[in-house]
Amino acid sequence: MRFRRRASPLHAARASAGGAYCAALAACALALQHPLLLGAVIVAVTGAGIAAGARDELATAAKFSLPLGLLVALVNPLVVRDGLTVFFRLGEIPPFGQVDLTVEALVYGLVLGARVVAVALCCALFVAAVDPDETLRLFRRVSFRSALTAALAVRLMPVLARDSRRMADAAACRPDSGRGSAPGRVAVLRAVATSALDRAVDVAATLEVRGYGARTAVRPAAEPWSRHDVAFAASAVVLVALAAGAAVAGIGTFAAYPALRAPVGPGEAGLAVLIVAVALAPFADRRGIER
Amino acid sequence: MSSTFARRSRPAALLALLGALAALSGGCGAGAGKAPDGTRLTVTQDFGSRAQRQFEAPKVSGSETVMRLLQRNAKVTTRFGGGFVQSIDGSAGGRRAGRPLDWFFYVNGIESSQGAAAVRLHPGDRIWWDRHDWGAAMRVPAVVGSFPEPFLHGSGGRRLPVRIECADPAAAACDAVFKAMNALDIPAAKGGLGTAQVEDSLRVVVGPWVAARDDHALRQLEAGPARSGVYARPSADGRRIVALDARGRPVRTLGAGTGLIAATRAGDEPPVWAVTGTDDAGVAAAARSLTERALGRRFAVAVSGGRPVALPEDPAS
Repeated sequence: MRFRRRASPLHAARASAGGAYCAALAACALALQHPLLLGAVIVAVTGAGIAAGARDELATAAKFSLPLGLLVALVNPLVVRDGLTVFFRLGEIPPFGQVDLTVEALVYGLVLGARVVAVALCCALFVAAVDPDETLRLFRRVSFRSALTAALAVRLMPVLARDSRRMADAAACRPDSGRGSAPGRVAVLRAVATSALDRAVDVAATLEVRGYGARTAVRPAAEPWSRHDVAFAASAVVLVALAAGAAVAGIGTFAAYPALRAPVGPGEAGLAVLIVAVALAPFADRRGIER
Repeated sequence: MSSTFARRSRPAALLALLGALAALSGGCGAGAGKAPDGTRLTVTQDFGSRAQRQFEAPKVSGSETVMRLLQRNAKVTTRFGGGFVQSIDGSAGGRRAGRPLDWFFYVNGIESSQGAAAVRLHPGDRIWWDRHDWGAAMRVPAVVGSFPEPFLHGSGGRRLPVRIECADPAAAACDAVFKAMNALDIPAAKGGLGTAQVEDSLRVVVGPWVAARDDHALRQLEAGPARSGVYARPSADGRRIVALDARGRPVRTLGAGTGLIAATRAGDEPPVWAVTGTDDAGVAAAARSLTERALGRRFAVAVSGGRPVALPEDPAS
């Protein structure tokens, strides 16, 4: 899973706006517990991923996060004794005593699992649709060396992956290749690691020659905000405001223990629709998405 | 092939066997199971002096714990991961006038060593929650306010044998206690002091304090509430019983003719009840007060002038 430039409004937006948009969606997933609203966030981020052409990246993230979410959902009833509605008794299990599985603990586990999936999808959207170089450039003002190190690491990983593939192919062509065997893998790993050190020395020398250590980089002229920048930044602000407003107004309250309480009224339904609409609105404008 | 199959199927068979054993051992199965009947729930404040909630037939479900019963019938907030009660219907633990105050619960008059979420409810159990000052006694291991429990339904769903140990088995007080138990359908054995052969039994010691103090559990009363959990301190000669307030301070000294009904425990042993007094008249008065009406919602009772007085004693009353 990595960033690939595509023709989409999210890709066309600057990294600060795109990053804020993904962070706002993740913040909503973390702030809202009501299953309906959490579902709305998942729908919103999935819709955003499809609109941004990052369907495969989101599918990959879901493939890894769904089992994790499911694990959280299954473990929670085993470790939490709260909840009034027992649906299964496991009997005496030393040293825990009588273990009862409750509907409330299961539902809360599912909510926690859904939250894990939602946050993973937000991260996948960020990785797939927000330019990492531009993001690192944002942090240059905060910590120049850290940003430079991160940029190099981001660049170096794909290079090393390509190196390892080439070396593995070359090793496979040898009669004593032992492809797939442990010694064969170790040989490729050793070669890649050695190559990485060589490349690191080369990169350090290049940076030295180009004067990066002096920290006198020329700051590029500030680009004016595009319609997409404004749209995603505004969407992020409104999403955070919606989550905060819901907390203040008491909309979308959810309590799992001791008994489930997740009222669904016009407030919750309206908020769910608003979250999806606000999150997907910036994708409506597809002018100037080829950057 | 067949050996591979056998090797693969062995863990599955073992798991199936373990599952079957767990199911057979009881307490395992789908759903909540049968709800315990005949349970009662009482919520009070300040050692039972103020009733907050009283449920003769509380809402109850199968596989119930003390915590679930409370949460099903009152508004509860918890702490320490849901195992301990912080507040019931808005009355919270904490500090009041600089004194520590918290919620404690008793199952059939016996303090539990586990959190409320870990204690199972059994048919007939009487659950009593009380918020009180624990500055004078961190533990009150047993109380008399759930009478006729724990004699009727015992502890942990297991009825225990009841033995009435009398200083004088022929005394009228001993006979009165025996009859009171029988009237409540509590089968009890009667004998002399220290003659019990069954370790795991509920004992009721009947006799003047000079004789009752020979019991190692009851002798703790002389050390005060910090040791025994009873807010009364009999003197070693048995002539006086000092009634204490909730802070463990003496309120008044009761002399001849004073009775005392109290319960305590030594370590993890079953509770021992004392139906005692400063003299024979006091013991007889205490034996007459062995009723649900006189003991209900009280941690211990002193009988002075023929009237039961709740302990710890409220100096204002």
